[in-house]
Amino acid sequence: MNRILVVDDAMTVRMYHGKVLADGGFEVHEAANGVEALEKIATQPADAPFDLFVVDVNMPKMDGYSFVRELRRLAEVPQVPVMMVSTEAQARDASAGFDAGANAYFVKPVPRPQLLAAAAVLLGDAQTARTAAARIGEAA
Amino acid sequence: MTVNSATRAVITAADFLKFRDYFHRKTGIHFDESKRYFVDKRLQDRIEATGATGFRDYFASLRFEASGIELQQLVNAMTVNETYFFREAFQFECLVNDLMDELAARAAGRRLRIWSVPSSTGEEPYSIAIYLLERWPGLKQHDVEILSSDIDTRVLESAQRGIYSRRSVSELPRAYLAKYFEQIDDDAWRISRDLVDAVEFSRVNLCDAADTRRLRDVDVIFCRNLLIYFDDVSRRIAADAMFDALVPGGFVCLGHSESMSRISPLFRMRRFADALVYQKPLQGEQQR
Amino acid sequence: MALKSASKNSGLREVAERAPDRSYAGLLQQLADADPARRRWAARDLAAHAAAAQPLVDRLLDEHDAGVVEAIFTSIETLASPAAVAALVPLLRSDDARLRNGAIEALASMPAATAPHVDRLLADADADVRLFAVNLLADLRHPQVPAWVEQVLRTEPEANVVAAAIEVLTEAGSTALLPALAAAQARFATDPFIGFAADVARSRIGSP
Repeated sequence: MNRILVVDDAMTVRMYHGKVLADGGFEVHEAANGVEALEKIATQPADAPFDLFVVDVNMPKMDGYSFVRELRRLAEVPQVPVMMVSTEAQARDASAGFDAGANAYFVKPVPRPQLLAAAAVLLGDAQTARTAAARIGEAA
Repeated sequence: MTVNSATRAVITAADFLKFRDYFHRKTGIHFDESKRYFVDKRLQDRIEATGATGFRDYFASLRFEASGIELQQLVNAMTVNETYFFREAFQFECLVNDLMDELAARAAGRRLRIWSVPSSTGEEPYSIAIYLLERWPGLKQHDVEILSSDIDTRVLESAQRGIYSRRSVSELPRAYLAKYFEQIDDDAWRISRDLVDAVEFSRVNLCDAADTRRLRDVDVIFCRNLLIYFDDVSRRIAADAMFDALVPGGFVCLGHSESMSRISPLFRMRRFADALVYQKPLQGEQQR
Repeated sequence: MALKSASKNSGLREVAERAPDRSYAGLLQQLADADPARRRWAARDLAAHAAAAQPLVDRLLDEHDAGVVEAIFTSIETLASPAAVAALVPLLRSDDARLRNGAIEALASMPAATAPHVDRLLADADADVRLFAVNLLADLRHPQVPAWVEQVLRTEPEANVVAAAIEVLTEAGSTALLPALAAAQARFATDPFIGFAADVARSRIGSP
């Protein structure tokens, strides 16, 4: 089973994205800021690492970009995909996200079909991605 | 003063969630459902102590009162604040199994320095000394200094007197107790003068730059179960002081339920077989 | 080699580095030194100088070393003055996430000095600034927070700002704000996240 770490300082957003991902069959863990996320990575079991990070931009102590930069610096963590999320008005920050090393950038809260499709794509699960993408079309 | 339990404040399920989420957000400490009794009792204690009319009234003052003093009182109430020899010994295991060797390899002959703060009544620095003497082979090749500080001169005096209760020494292996202590009364053991002399005690306020700026070239800091009692700004000041006191690559051990995630982004987390510790980045690895 | 008794106060000795000028003017110079360690010490020492608030914030705009950034924010929080708040507020418009969020954290730590600015920030033309002002309320220790949150719930046009206010409500809310919460949910009736967050808030607020 794929493990996803949802990193966001807002409890309601963690719960919202977490529920969508859990309903989608993922094992979801949470962190409230970039420092806590790095701590969770440091303590992840060797046989159960995180496969995907869903990371908010604006957080206290360590913002999303700083976290991703630090994540990419860690030799012991392979290039695990990162989906960054930010509020609509900051969509201009997308390029900063990619510069930091993120793989995808979404406006939050991410609607259910998009979140599941993106997770599937980033995890290399083409089958789920196709099905989820079809659902986006239905929802539109 | 005793209070009839029937008049104690009611803590509903929603109240518990509200407390739990807030406490976790502020301290990183998580209380799950199994801790209801523990939490409810202490919340009721604080509600009575502050004269609040009930949980909601209490929580409002906790959340909106500018001084934040009640939060510190609440943290005090919710955490166990006992000191004894070999408390959280897995960190001392980590020290002698991993940290000291790594530090010695980088120190290139420089004397290694360990700082224990708060010293409280001395159990922690003396525990470190015993561990180094008994369990670190490297002590034969490398000099080590142990510094220990507290803001309270009375506890420093007590630490230097070195007299401890049965309860305080109860976690020590009998062989160590026999080797390093002399029983002087039914409930009193005195630690050997050699160990007292091996620790340098000083009065230091971790939040006072005038006190801390002189501490340099420290390799390991034990700062356990102190920062959770500080307010947010004081925690930052203390973390900054520790960061600057450390050599690059130096380590910090916090209490096992504490986390830098509510304090500072400057330290890296290192995972060792016995413990998780924080590390000041090595030269040339500064975060940007 | 052994457990050495430290020579008297050896760990607490005066260090030669104290030689550089610790006067206010000297510290300001060192705040721009090429060595990040010197800049960090200067930032820490400037916490003792009330006039340093603006120079410290100005330095943030050019500072890339995380240790220096942290020391600057800690010193600004220590100053905790109206001047410190005035210097921080413009950072809410910064393109740099670290500065924006550092400013929010610092402002939240100075409730008395920050409170006079909140109404204006909540009415800012820029939705980002209004959002950050609500994020600030999440950590602000001030009795007016519930009233400010209620104002956002009733009058804010942007969904994500309202959502942020509901997040604050999960912790700072009381039953008195349930009508305002219902009103906000009605205004954004088709927004699934707002509905979800409102349910969470109600579960924390409990019943009247």
